[in-house]
Amino acid sequence: MVASVAASAFFPAPSSSSIASCKASRSINESPESLSVRGIVAKPASSSGAVQVKAHAQAPPKVNGTKVSLKVESQINEEAPSAPRTFYNQLPDWSFLFAAVTTIFLAAEKQFTLVDWKPKRPDMLADAFGLGKIMQDGMVFRQNFSIRSYEIGADRTASIETLMNHLQETALNHVRSAGLMGAGFGSTPEMTKRNLIWVVTKMQVLVEQYPSWEDVVQVDTWVAPSGKNGMRRDWHVRDYRTGQTVLRATSVWVMINKQTRRLSKIPDEVRAEIGSYFMDHDPIIDDDGRKLSKLGDDNADYVRTGLNPRWGDLDVNQHVNNVKYIGWILESAPISILESHELAGITMEYRRECGKDSVLQSLAAISSDSCDHGSLDTGFDCQHLLRLESGAEILRARTEWRPKRAHVP
Amino acid sequence: MAAMLWCSTSQGPIRSPEATPAAQCGPLRNWAGVRTVRCACKAISGLEVAVAATAAAASGEKGVGEKGLAERLRIGSLLPDGLSYKECFIIRCYEVGINKTATVETIANLLQEVGGSHAQSLGFSTDGFATTPTMRKLGLIWVTSRMHIEIYKYPAWGEVIEIETWCQSDGRMGTRRDWILWDLATGEVIGRATSKWVMMNEKTRKLQRVSDEVREEVFVHCPRTPRLAFPEENNGSLKKIPKLDDPAQYSRLGLVPRRADLDMNQHVNNVTYIGWVLESIPQEIIDTHELQTITLDYRRECQHDNIVDSLSSPEVSENGSTNGVVSSSPYVHDQELQQFLHFLRLSGSGLEINRGCTVWRKLAR
Repeated sequence: MVASVAASAFFPAPSSSSIASCKASRSINESPESLSVRGIVAKPASSSGAVQVKAHAQAPPKVNGTKVSLKVESQINEEAPSAPRTFYNQLPDWSFLFAAVTTIFLAAEKQFTLVDWKPKRPDMLADAFGLGKIMQDGMVFRQNFSIRSYEIGADRTASIETLMNHLQETALNHVRSAGLMGAGFGSTPEMTKRNLIWVVTKMQVLVEQYPSWEDVVQVDTWVAPSGKNGMRRDWHVRDYRTGQTVLRATSVWVMINKQTRRLSKIPDEVRAEIGSYFMDHDPIIDDDGRKLSKLGDDNADYVRTGLNPRWGDLDVNQHVNNVKYIGWILESAPISILESHELAGITMEYRRECGKDSVLQSLAAISSDSCDHGSLDTGFDCQHLLRLESGAEILRARTEWRPKRAHVP
Repeated sequence: MAAMLWCSTSQGPIRSPEATPAAQCGPLRNWAGVRTVRCACKAISGLEVAVAATAAAASGEKGVGEKGLAERLRIGSLLPDGLSYKECFIIRCYEVGINKTATVETIANLLQEVGGSHAQSLGFSTDGFATTPTMRKLGLIWVTSRMHIEIYKYPAWGEVIEIETWCQSDGRMGTRRDWILWDLATGEVIGRATSKWVMMNEKTRKLQRVSDEVREEVFVHCPRTPRLAFPEENNGSLKKIPKLDDPAQYSRLGLVPRRADLDMNQHVNNVTYIGWVLESIPQEIIDTHELQTITLDYRRECQHDNIVDSLSSPEVSENGSTNGVVSSSPYVHDQELQQFLHFLRLSGSGLEINRGCTVWRKLAR
């Protein structure tokens, strides 16, 4: 599925020793130039039009159920003032998105003018169609999701993949609704001139409680600088009804040259475009700086081989959507762990991506420095490795597990 | 997850019988008959239930049931005559596939979702099986025997589709559920689907006839006169699917269920089979065509530790060409169509899991 969106795109990143150009990449070799949308430029007018449409589309959630009308929310327009209407894109090849977005804006415009859409229940306009909106001076984007029945796992709670999918969706919608998609692939104009794109290198998620079917979660997301030349995107997900935290997540992105795959500093011109969107906000998860070690056949406790992507796993570039990796990581965890424990956290380092023809292996090892995994009363950690049969690393991860709490079905 | 219905007098939840009755309300009685659910406090029709929920929400009631928030925020609801259910869905970015449009698995998931919502709005169980009280007493569940989906226009990311669904009896053995899908913006029909269901004993996995008791419980909520998503004669949903000739032209062997494919009872869910069927379609078709129609006959269930082979061959029509698909549907224009026959089998024994047929139309690139 789509989008190697914001959170998911990444490129065959070279080995950790140096971010040199990656010639061995088996990934994004199809050039966006082949897509016809190259010539479309997001004019500020249409961006603001988009923001306006968004205002049409939803209304601020009101927990106490006061009626909300469908009128244009003028404050949304105010949140996108004379600030540059460009944004960097975390995703390579966003030209497809561009075409999609243009269509969406037009369609959405039609949706709410042609169709005499009256909500069946006046109190539930809140994010009626889940388009989300920008909050807080235009920095934070918020969107609600109700958990659908097919997103529930065997224990009747939303799966970690479902929650990660929501993170992807909000990142993409943030960029779209802020009118920040620049020309071409969502890189800002200055980035595009220099053939620069963002790639995600690390992602960390801490889950406090898993929602159930029909729960509604509220996802907030924002971006911030990461070091001198990186970007961080954080998420805070809460239960809409109780306000309690569902999960917190943080991701780190670096800028690379699309052609050479070399790391790049953020040019001053780009910084001028995007700097105002960076929030001055501490990372929502503290980085404990633990390194993810490499597993091999000799030190893995569990190995699962012959993992194949299906058609439905692929995004528009025919790369595997990286949320699927989590499923594969968990495939190598023995079922006994999954029955008695729940995933409390996951940290991932992205190395390389894969396509339909890849055959993957998932390795897992219980961390020796965590508690005896025979004791089910406590939590423990696992190390993971996802690699191609050839040995090339796709992803390293660490998962943290805690005993399941009883929850009300 | 108990079905939550609101009792407007006590302002508390009515729980369906199998759950613990709430303090204020007595257990539900009388499923048969008209569309009423009785609470110890008051008898309310299904429609009043929806209105009461709105009123409760609008007046900012505290102590609103924990489950049911999405119900209140949901766009879906029973239609005024109570005989069908409509809900809207926005297509999310991760539900879109290589064609930049929603995948057929996404569509199938949404059909399942709206079917479940319909069942829940009627007070059926919400454990995913939509069982009536009698069925639960007897340990019976619904299982799909056939699924037929036609998509005329796939929605893209951010588009909103509206799905209407209803159910009715299907002979003496089972029920059927039909769906119509619209693009909310344009109002055009973008797809239709129909499915057949039979009752099975959960433990013995043996099929069972639909008893009159169950029939009353279920069909009180269904249209009196038959209403079909595919009313036209000789439509695709009626097609008999032959067994694939051996050897199949294309195959994908050794498919394995993932954790995410399994339902709460460790059986592979219906939508996963669609993905498996498509696995053996060759890349040339995937790159140039999109799926217009899929018909699947479910024969045998698949467990988490099974290995599956997916086989397919182009289907040759009577006149010998592979393009000879006669489309009786008013929605499908004459165009180059490719048709395939499919067979899913257990890897070791060769036993049939399901058989199917797909029709593909050329993508306008």
